[in-house]
Amino acid sequence: MIESLLNAFIAAAKIIGLNYSFLLSAYERGPWLEGIGITIGLALLSIVSSLLVGIVVASLLTSGKPWLANPTRAFVELTRNTPTLVQLYCAFFVLNMLINQAVGGAQNNPLSAFAWVVIVLSLHYGAIHAEALRAGIEAVPKVTRESALSLGFSRSESLRYVELPLAMRFALPSLVNNLVNLVKSTALGSAIAVGEVTYASLMIWTQRDNVLELMIFIFLVYGILTLLVARAGSWLETHLRMPGYGH
Amino acid sequence: MKKLQQLGIALALGLAFGTAMADATLDKIKSRGVVNVGVVLGGAPYGQIDPKTQQPVGFNIDFSKLLAQRLGVKLEAVTVTPANRVQFLQTGKVDLLIANMQWTQERSEILSFVPTQYDESGGAAIAHKGSGIRKWEDLRGKQVCASQGSNFIKPLIEEYGAQIKALPSMPEALLALKGGACVASVHISTGIHTLLEEEPAWKDYEAPIASELIPSPGVIWVRKGEADTQAALDKIVKELHGSGVLIETMKKNRLAVPQAVVKLQEKFKTAAK
Repeated sequence: MIESLLNAFIAAAKIIGLNYSFLLSAYERGPWLEGIGITIGLALLSIVSSLLVGIVVASLLTSGKPWLANPTRAFVELTRNTPTLVQLYCAFFVLNMLINQAVGGAQNNPLSAFAWVVIVLSLHYGAIHAEALRAGIEAVPKVTRESALSLGFSRSESLRYVELPLAMRFALPSLVNNLVNLVKSTALGSAIAVGEVTYASLMIWTQRDNVLELMIFIFLVYGILTLLVARAGSWLETHLRMPGYGH
Repeated sequence: MKKLQQLGIALALGLAFGTAMADATLDKIKSRGVVNVGVVLGGAPYGQIDPKTQQPVGFNIDFSKLLAQRLGVKLEAVTVTPANRVQFLQTGKVDLLIANMQWTQERSEILSFVPTQYDESGGAAIAHKGSGIRKWEDLRGKQVCASQGSNFIKPLIEEYGAQIKALPSMPEALLALKGGACVASVHISTGIHTLLEEEPAWKDYEAPIASELIPSPGVIWVRKGEADTQAALDKIVKELHGSGVLIETMKKNRLAVPQAVVKLQEKFKTAAK
């Protein structure tokens, strides 16, 4: 059934001059389909952990304590102002090697190339989320914060129960924007041989002459993934809307 | 608006006839007085950046210069990587490739090549001393680094069952090997032997496998069906063999002269004079 559908698709594509015959070779199709799974895995893990990093960094930035806020500010500037690819190379080729030396060999190092992509993307986008969240926290009216404090909330309780929930709503459009970028950035994994969909496609098109065909597929995969993230974002925006509160 | 439409039509036509127009490569090279050669700078002795002058040097560059000189035009060397070199050639960004790209059946189906080879090389593995690897079969099930687009990937997977990690080019693959992402890294054998002989940073590493992986002819690649360019270059390569200039250039770059090249020099010696 699937085989005959595939054959029909390949024959149809051939009419307009596209060669999708790689789909018939299990040795190429397998890693390619796996690649889509790995891309989704990278995206999901990085989305969740980058948001966590963002919340932590934003709370430190707005903590009002210079010994917490200043080092955090330095981290944000450093991460935001250097290219993600350079950070990934630095992490995978330099940090990873140092860790290997410290734990006595690569076999004792639990961090795979996949893990490094998640770590670097989470920190990079965490810093960018933090700036969006900081804008949100600073948009919470001063009276609201003061009311919370006068009701007996501590500084951290006020942040957790009053400011962050409001800040999240203010920051949501930019957060979703960042997440769409994050999904696309998972393609960086191909630079350090993580088998995500860009890498899997690269491996096929360097052996066959079908760059255009695979490019179309890659555009579709990322297009669908980012569309899903954007849809989820706008659903959240409507769902969390507070009538009469700036929206 | 009208301008935009015209631009659109021009673009569409360009896309449709891009391949057809490219046939005139030899005329184009002559008329603009420049030949664009795609070279790989993957490391000595084939191609690297001279740390002092920041200029590309190595056998690939010297060989390209010889070709340009014989064609009577200026050389414009364009750096390509194993992963993008075919696209650079096909989209016309370069006129020909001198990019450590050995002849394979698959490649010969999508591109044309200059029939007379200028080099012959196979793959060698570099691994940490004491890795326990002695022959290609020992790589079965192991993580092995390579360059993206390398012709060694296919035999490594299909014949020897290795798990391939393909990095953008040889320097990254070697870094990944040092970082422990793989047990061995497989590249063009001359490049590996030069590295082991000349770089003290690699003194703990060795090339443990004596035999070369799929030794194949190194050829110049041109776009499919460009018979004129192919014929012109073939004449030049034969002349470079016969006059001994090619072997001199190899020796100058401390490249081990392959047996096949020695034989070709013998063959074309009389033809040149």
